[in-house]
Amino acid sequence: MNDERNEAPGKQIARRTFLQGTALAGFGAFLAACGASGTGSSASAAAATTASPSTAASAGASASAAAGGKIGGDLNFANWIGYIDISEDGSTYPSLEQFTKDSGVKVNYQEAIDDNEKFFTSDLQGPLSQNLPTAWDIVVVTDWMVARLARLGWLEAIDASATPNFVANLEPQYKGRSFDPNTKFAAPWQSGMTGIGFDKKKTGDLTSLNAFWDAKYKGKLTYLTEMRDTVGLTAIKLGFDPATITKDQFDQSLAEIDKAVKGKLVRQLTGNSYVDVMASGDAIVAMAWSGDVLGLLVPDQKKDQDFQFNVAKEGGMLWTDNMVMPKGVKNKAQAQAFINFYYDPKIAAQVEAYVNYVCPVKGAAEVLKASSPEIASNPLIFPPQDVVARLHQFRALDANEEKDWSAAFSKVLGL
Amino acid sequence: MARIRLSRAAAPYLLLLPGLAWLLLFYVYPAIQMFLVSLWTGNVQDGYKLTFNWGIYGSAFTEYWPWIVRSAEYGGLATILAFLLGYPLAYTIAFRGGAYKNVLLFLVIAPFFTSFLLRTISWKIILADSGIVLGPLKAAGLVPDDFRVLATPAAVVAGITYNFLPFMTLPLYVALEKIDRRLIEAAEDLYAGPWRPAGTIAGAAIGAVLLALLALTLSADPLVPAILGGIVGALIGTFLIGQAFLRITLPLSLPGIFAGSLLTFIPAVGDFINAELLGDPGSAMIGNVIQARFLKITDYPTASALSFILMAAILVGVLVYARLIGTEELTGGRI
Repeated sequence: MNDERNEAPGKQIARRTFLQGTALAGFGAFLAACGASGTGSSASAAAATTASPSTAASAGASASAAAGGKIGGDLNFANWIGYIDISEDGSTYPSLEQFTKDSGVKVNYQEAIDDNEKFFTSDLQGPLSQNLPTAWDIVVVTDWMVARLARLGWLEAIDASATPNFVANLEPQYKGRSFDPNTKFAAPWQSGMTGIGFDKKKTGDLTSLNAFWDAKYKGKLTYLTEMRDTVGLTAIKLGFDPATITKDQFDQSLAEIDKAVKGKLVRQLTGNSYVDVMASGDAIVAMAWSGDVLGLLVPDQKKDQDFQFNVAKEGGMLWTDNMVMPKGVKNKAQAQAFINFYYDPKIAAQVEAYVNYVCPVKGAAEVLKASSPEIASNPLIFPPQDVVARLHQFRALDANEEKDWSAAFSKVLGL
Repeated sequence: MARIRLSRAAAPYLLLLPGLAWLLLFYVYPAIQMFLVSLWTGNVQDGYKLTFNWGIYGSAFTEYWPWIVRSAEYGGLATILAFLLGYPLAYTIAFRGGAYKNVLLFLVIAPFFTSFLLRTISWKIILADSGIVLGPLKAAGLVPDDFRVLATPAAVVAGITYNFLPFMTLPLYVALEKIDRRLIEAAEDLYAGPWRPAGTIAGAAIGAVLLALLALTLSADPLVPAILGGIVGALIGTFLIGQAFLRITLPLSLPGIFAGSLLTFIPAVGDFINAELLGDPGSAMIGNVIQARFLKITDYPTASALSFILMAAILVGVLVYARLIGTEELTGGRI
């Protein structure tokens, strides 16, 4: 894929991101307005008001759960912003169109997820806690959320016989992960890294996590509201390993974050919207997700901007987002057909060339290397061995730890 | 005859029925539901149980009262600012609007045709650190390079003021519009002239105190704003406020002031969008805390308890306020 093709859809995305953010914030506004004025309802009522996609699954189609072949029916797919290939005019998703053409399944694809917790509260918890199906057939959530859903028994197992590509082409390091020992609930969608996003024209090259505590960037820094990213990077800076982080190390990391917040170094703590804050020039250093800088910021940068992403020399965070089927999924055959479809290296490569994250599908690398060598040398998609060696994962937290730690983290954020 | 009298007696209740049913279904029922949620214990993964944990009200309050105080400060400041902007505006439209009255009123509510959220996001674009406002000012050396408007408490208060200004202006307009002009003419016939020197002194005092308070809340040095406020207040008190205004117009517009300030203050205290989009970590309001507790930490009991504490706090505040201004004015009883 040449540069020009890369650029045009990127522009579209930036706009899409803005609108999507707006819509989500609006929904959040609705929820919290309810909470604040005391007229609110419980989360399940909120879930009922979210987009309820067509659920008219044809029973006949569900029955023929064969891999390949025209099965028809519907697929309701919830994903994150800018997380799949988008056509140049920004109106269609080529890989999804291909899927529809091959299988006859109509895909209702929504960029419905901005934050794991928020999505859990708004779309999953209400129906699943009542043993009801959700509005979605496939949702893409991060490892620790998969762990929670699996612990709650709220996931539907992926039938291996219906997904031969998934069985054959999943990269081995994703097999038998602690929260999914038999690799039957979660099909990895993308992996990514958390590191330093910066505007090189203003800051020069940044390779150390100390940049996030550098008084030079006072008021021009953003941190992430995802606890595991911000606390993870801070722990790494202090010399701890997030994979084995203790309560004491967590508290020390929080104190370090608090120092930066109280010292007014940090302008804002954001979700994915750090992209907008950087694009306007209000922030020049951000805790950033690897694919966003190239995929969302670079295509729209102005002449005096040069957005870059580095995994810090001290280390970075590694995470994986996974496709899972919520318990009681209505269109299981269609969902599995899609998982099987995505695990075709050709399709995965097509998505990869667009999203700039790390691909979990074996063989996608070879497809990309053959078709577009410049992508094969992209360190964000294929991180070199020395980068991989310094990536960390955040350890699994139990239910009470998760609540207490995120409450303590939220306190440091001023909430 | 008897049947007619019966339906006459029932009519008010029948008319109340739809509204009451609506409130029961969409206000009372969810409120009770949420009150029960506040008494749950547990966590989202193992499930919550209703344990009548009343202690949560104490612990939530001790933990979060600074946020409630901050919200009241920001909401109060925004209400005062909206009043200072809205009163002259409403006065001008009501007394000097002439043939353009309707056009001017339309302009007041015109911003409502755009989403609240979009308007606030557009502030972010306009006021960006090197955007179309601050960029040229910085280039001209009028403000220091590290100066910023966004991500400050001042931006949050300004944003709330802007967003709620019409809620203040419209009730003020209605109250001012109703005033019988002959009363003012009569006052002038009876030698109601300028209000000097008392107006000068009162204006200076009010102006100085207001701007000093504003500066203090936004943690700025209060001296310069106080002097500035004193001068502006004195000028207004000397030249714009006459005896007729003080004794006729202002008292008769009290119902509008009461309604406008409540309509601004109550939603402003619970607002969280302005703090989220325009604020920094140090300017989070109670609405942001409740949102985070509900959506990020999935700690529903604390979130619900905080909502009820906020409701109670606002209710008490409003009762005290109504007591001070007098409920008579609520209905315009003095007219």
